[in-house]
Amino acid sequence: MTRLKTRWVIFGGLFLMITLSYLLNVRFESVASPEVQKSYTYIEDLPEGSVIMVSFDHEASSLPEIQPLALVVLRHAFKNNLKIIGVSLFAEGTAIGYRLLSQTASEFDKRYGTDYVFLGFKPQQISAILGMGESIRHVFPEDYLGTPTDEIPVMHGIVNYDQVEMVVSITDGALTVHWIEYVGSQYHQQVMAALTAAMITTYDPYLASGQLFSVVGGLKGAAEYENLLGQPGGGNRGMLAQTSAHLYVIVLIIIGNILYFRDRKRGKE
Amino acid sequence: MDIGLIIAGILTLAIYTFLYKDNPIYKAAESLLIGLSIGYALVIYWQTTLVDRLFAPLFWHGELAMIIPLVLGLLMFTRFSNRLSWLSRIPIALMIGAGAGVAIPAMLYARTLKQMSASVMPLVDGGGFNVEALVVIVGLLTTLAYFYFSREHKGAMGVAAKVGTYFLMIFFGATFGYTVMSRMSTFIGRIDFLLTDFLRVLA
Repeated sequence: MTRLKTRWVIFGGLFLMITLSYLLNVRFESVASPEVQKSYTYIEDLPEGSVIMVSFDHEASSLPEIQPLALVVLRHAFKNNLKIIGVSLFAEGTAIGYRLLSQTASEFDKRYGTDYVFLGFKPQQISAILGMGESIRHVFPEDYLGTPTDEIPVMHGIVNYDQVEMVVSITDGALTVHWIEYVGSQYHQQVMAALTAAMITTYDPYLASGQLFSVVGGLKGAAEYENLLGQPGGGNRGMLAQTSAHLYVIVLIIIGNILYFRDRKRGKE
Repeated sequence: MDIGLIIAGILTLAIYTFLYKDNPIYKAAESLLIGLSIGYALVIYWQTTLVDRLFAPLFWHGELAMIIPLVLGLLMFTRFSNRLSWLSRIPIALMIGAGAGVAIPAMLYARTLKQMSASVMPLVDGGGFNVEALVVIVGLLTTLAYFYFSREHKGAMGVAAKVGTYFLMIFFGATFGYTVMSRMSTFIGRIDFLLTDFLRVLA
């Protein structure tokens, strides 16, 4: 088989597996991991009106994986009538953050300015994070839409992290490390990470040491959270496809190894 | 259908034409993605950094102290001149100095001290033997042994270093597995978009 044909078989097979899994539209039950359960329980137990800060620290290219994670956390917060302060420390996450917040808010009839606000992007992540520890208004004198922060009702009484119950960093990279190092360590703020699966092992040491409060990781983490929330979304839709894709990859690895050892044996003979 | 959805759908398919082979359609979509990302970031940085934090305070609100960052910023451009490039060392030195001053204490605490204290776990916990603590101790010491190059990896040191490589391989394997999972999720997300929003095959 030529190299191109092999490539076609591999990718074509993967495409078929995922498409067929989607067309079957079967809901895949997944039991929540302790970390997802911890994240869910913490937000669930927050009193109504509590303020959480959600930081959209990701690129646009990771949106397929990030979106279900962000949506399920935002839905949970809005469902429990929590107030949300949205920020972005990554330029590409700015417009996405605003869109996801607005989209979720409209599902729960939440009003901009009263129930949530998006303060926008700030460069120099470390100085922005540290600056908000002193005064959020000083770092963000205006919100994303140009309204002075002082005039936004949801910001009344909010000075710094002391009035915020938790920081949720939605990330596809190492930006949450800054939240952990500066907000977690210096301001003793709870930091939760909603991150792509590729980043899970990066944050495991912080999780084990207790510096990171909890993690919701990857499409599977989103699916587990959706099950806890009772609102199936993108995570659940993708679970059957992900399982079948993984099985397909495992089968390919086994076939590849069999062919490799067969060829090696033939070569020796 | 929304024009944005049509463009997104066509561009998604254009990117996947790379699976056949490198081709002009893929190149065009790739260039568009890179150009848009850079252009978008540039506009955001221009507005939030230069306009909001420098031009507005300096020129509209008359904060003369902002001349200092303006001059320091302009000194960066002396890199383009062989004769004046030494001047760019001033803002670079300030940036590195300030950055190190802020980052080193925080990193030392969060990445070293806290991680060290988290690695020290009691072997006997609550009356029972703590297997996790044993794994952490063995993993920590043997991995450190692997990266200890002042002594030849022979005898006990060699065995420890060998065991350390297994721990490293487990870590790399887990990371690679998660990365594959992540890439699959991205692909699944695009298929979801194509079937649900673009082609409307699924409700």
